[in-house]
Amino acid sequence: MFKKILVANRGEIAVRIIRACKEWGISTVAVHSDVDKDSMHVRLADESICIGSHQPQNSYLNISALMSAVDVTGAEAIHPGYGFLSENAHFAEIVTKHGVKFIGPSSELIKKMGDKVEAKKIAKENGLPIIEGSDGEVISISDAKKVCDKIGYPVLIKAAGGGGGKGMKIVTKYEELNDLFSMAKLEAKKYFNNDKLYIEKYFKNPRHIEVQVLSGKNRTVHLNERDCSVQRNHQKLIEETPSPIIDEKIRSDLLNKTVKMVEKIGYEGAGTVEYIYENGKFYFLEMNTRVQVEHPVTEMATGIDIVKEQIWIANKGDTALTQEDIKPRGHVIECRINAEDPSKNFQPSPGIIKVCHQPSGFRTRVDGAIFQGCKITPFYDSLICKLICQGRNRTEAIQRMLRALDEFVIEGITTTIDLHKKILKNSKFINSDFDVNWLSKESFY
Amino acid sequence: MKINKKIIEELVGYLKEFNLSEIDYTEGSSRVKVSRSINNSNIIDSENKIIKSKIADVDESGSKITSPIVGTAYLAAEPGGKKFIDINQKIKKGQTIMIVEAMKTMNHVPSTQDGVVSKILVKDGEPVEFGQTLILLK
Repeated sequence: MFKKILVANRGEIAVRIIRACKEWGISTVAVHSDVDKDSMHVRLADESICIGSHQPQNSYLNISALMSAVDVTGAEAIHPGYGFLSENAHFAEIVTKHGVKFIGPSSELIKKMGDKVEAKKIAKENGLPIIEGSDGEVISISDAKKVCDKIGYPVLIKAAGGGGGKGMKIVTKYEELNDLFSMAKLEAKKYFNNDKLYIEKYFKNPRHIEVQVLSGKNRTVHLNERDCSVQRNHQKLIEETPSPIIDEKIRSDLLNKTVKMVEKIGYEGAGTVEYIYENGKFYFLEMNTRVQVEHPVTEMATGIDIVKEQIWIANKGDTALTQEDIKPRGHVIECRINAEDPSKNFQPSPGIIKVCHQPSGFRTRVDGAIFQGCKITPFYDSLICKLICQGRNRTEAIQRMLRALDEFVIEGITTTIDLHKKILKNSKFINSDFDVNWLSKESFY
Repeated sequence: MKINKKIIEELVGYLKEFNLSEIDYTEGSSRVKVSRSINNSNIIDSENKIIKSKIADVDESGSKITSPIVGTAYLAAEPGGKKFIDINQKIKKGQTIMIVEAMKTMNHVPSTQDGVVSKILVKDGEPVEFGQTLILLK
């Protein structure tokens, strides 16, 4: 096994990875920006190195600073977490060239799947249904207009290098196209350093369903699906497994097709294949070649530690798991606790956490990086922690989640805790009668 | 071993003088380490004073447009792109004067009134506080 791993991330996911490393007996190196010097991941790691200033491009996206940190500490492998450089093929390539193991698939595969245009092609070739849209990249506004005229409004402009809803714009009519196209390009350039855009038909009432896979050189196993249809501004807020709306026939078709595709492309590590689901049909959306925010949902249901398995696969090449090992149990829900004000259109709410009491109890898990007195800066993502609860069935999972949310106290900043309580008590959520656009239409405040 | 009190006294003096929390000093085969706990609130206080005095230094005559949010200020829509506003430019109420990015959200800051830009008080990529004056209008 590796002796030392550098965690190229921050916040709750860095803490999550450090925990997995510790359990494998691997020593850890945390990297951080100047403003993150007192953060939880720095405190938990065996060593830490400051790699630059608050702006992500100077620190967490700063490849040369990261490689210097590897050199100085002698780390054998890098875990990129999610976001930042986790799906940056160039980074994976540099890491590999330096004789350091990148914990994730090969740079070639990251490049292929990271380019959403290319990924769509691969999915199609491997038997997955895809969404109607532009045939590859859309460069100019006039090209964009042609595509939109052909498939009809509304359309979705997406970043070929993107994810997490950034650089994504819904265009309902031609008059909006110009502004939204430029804005998408700007955000794509800023967050993914790649301003390549493509256009797809916009689904009005879809669910978002995704399949978690773990794949080694020897085989690919799936860890069932997650339903992530409670979203705000295209970002997931609540995830659950199993999906309450698909039947066994659709589920087994979805899982089988996903495993077949992932196996065929020779994927290594943890990955997620995302789908849009509407009117009984699913369509390939994209593949995330990294660990996801909502991975604990699957971990609680299956009892498999995805991050530890990721490290195992990176080290051994093979996965030790077989499909028979995956026996999901009960129902699991995750609520993302963000530092934002849901009553003010999810306006960011940075500040100092003055009081922090995190819930615990039976089948209750908190993945976070917060503590009393910690400062939530405005420079990074608003996700501060995740609350995950399991029940024997969906009803019990909801009840347990409400109990845990009631215990959760965060003072000093505004969070999504209160909104989660409202959502979980809402009849539409209870009856699973919602889609990804539900939150923006429902008024909770 | 004989303890050299003088060295310790001198090092403790330096701790205070330079506001350090620890000094590890080696001379030949002897090594002395002195440390103390620093009250962090003092540091924060002095930082706040610096920020406040910085703000107070600025001649804020004219109308102020302040930041509605804490975050990172950007004067142009893209790196190296055209700035939203320039000095002496006539601007209208509602016109974007800059972007303040907070938690990966780009917030366009609109001017709250008509006027001519007399001063731009923040640099591109600089962190800004809630309520901090971004520009002055005459």
